[in-house]
Amino acid sequence: MRTEMPLSKPIRRLLTQTEELLDTEISLLRQPEAEPGGTLVDKYTYDIDTNVIIFPAQYVGLLKDFIIAKHCTFLLIKGAAAEKKEYRVCSYTRDSVYNGMRQIYIDALKDEAKKENKLPVQKLIQMLFILFTHFNDDINEIPWNAINNASVYHRMPKIRKTQLYHIMKESKNDMDEMMEQESIVPRRYFVLNKAMFYARDMFLAKTLPADELMPVLNIPQMKKFNHLEVKEMLTTRWTHTAWYQSKVFGDNMLEIIDKPLGLVRWNEPPSLDYFYDLYKVGRLVTDNLLSYMTMREWFVWETPKHILDAHDNNKAYERDALKKIFGDLITDTLEDA
Amino acid sequence: MPLKEAVELARKGSSYAKRTKYREALAYYDKAITLDPKYPDVLVLRAAVYIDTGKYREALLDCNKALALNPNSSEAWSRKSLALFYLEQYDEAILAATRATTLNGNDVTGWYVLGVCLEEVGRADEAQVAYGKSLELEIILDIQAESKKVRK
Repeated sequence: MRTEMPLSKPIRRLLTQTEELLDTEISLLRQPEAEPGGTLVDKYTYDIDTNVIIFPAQYVGLLKDFIIAKHCTFLLIKGAAAEKKEYRVCSYTRDSVYNGMRQIYIDALKDEAKKENKLPVQKLIQMLFILFTHFNDDINEIPWNAINNASVYHRMPKIRKTQLYHIMKESKNDMDEMMEQESIVPRRYFVLNKAMFYARDMFLAKTLPADELMPVLNIPQMKKFNHLEVKEMLTTRWTHTAWYQSKVFGDNMLEIIDKPLGLVRWNEPPSLDYFYDLYKVGRLVTDNLLSYMTMREWFVWETPKHILDAHDNNKAYERDALKKIFGDLITDTLEDA
Repeated sequence: MPLKEAVELARKGSSYAKRTKYREALAYYDKAITLDPKYPDVLVLRAAVYIDTGKYREALLDCNKALALNPNSSEAWSRKSLALFYLEQYDEAILAATRATTLNGNDVTGWYVLGVCLEEVGRADEAQVAYGKSLELEIILDIQAESKKVRK
């Protein structure tokens, strides 16, 4: 472990345990502009020798500890799968991009037919791939986020209050995402996207018992949540979003997440086999969510290198898909762009 | 009052330290200290760089010098507690961190180091109180930073 900062005992123990189980090294890096939730740069995803957990420089105490705990858990899951040569992520190919963009286009046309203010064609075309990659990012994030949080909750009881704050903050940011584009994005995708986050939040609200997480902290901004349990806090928020009318999708997704995760024994002694089992559960949840959203043809389980290459080629994939969807009609537009 | 030139040198040093250019930062701090050896703030700044570069004994020396000049410097007590933590002198670190947080109740690092050291010596309940205080302050700072971002 390479670090130049004080760390609480449970975090030091977790870091050492992770390094020993995976026979690897973890560095901690403070960066002023780091993502609020931190970033994990790991050797199972990138062609590097060590693993780095990056977090915002202003996090000096327990906020930093929680970020480390969360990313260590994900590193263990990735590492355990990689040890078995089975670590895969949801990637995309030329063909799968076409499948996704075509489906979005068809749904967008249905929406546009009912609208008074039609979306300019150019914007509609641009939206197809943006929305596709948005779902790719989210499906690679949400199931693992739920698993990592549940695992940290059970294994690190001393940082539960910190965890609560992180969840509240993350939930707020995710809820705000896409709101500005609500009138542009086809209704179906707006609802599905929000439903995934709702389901994750409700799963966490269910997993994290209220009595231990009651925000007794003396913080003015948190006062409004006093005497509310986590579930109530998150539900209260969700009922205020424009999305709430389509709650049924979120509840179905909650069931999809909750079913396999409800069977996990979170306090089992940590071993590579245990974390490999968590990896398999994450894949199952991902597959089930994709099936529910009818997106199985959009993505493929592939190596991390595959998705990095796909990102490099994404412009070409987008162009080819547009040509296949619109034929000659699109050529002029693409050349203009 | 510290010499104007020394303050300017310290400011330049800090701008390098922020970008983790520690060698350059130390060069400016050294000059400032030579120019005005009775300027405690720059000693504390140099101690911070020493801590970031793993030179905990040097950091401790600078903190002690700064405290000899100004015994009420909460920053000096805070850095001292950190240096002592790294040197695994937990009981002394607890004393320094307690002093730092008494002088400045908003010292997030001070409260956190206090929590870590109390935990090290087996005073778990007191550690939880210190951690709680540190978290409370950290969250307030984080919420303020977020609102600033939104305003921008």
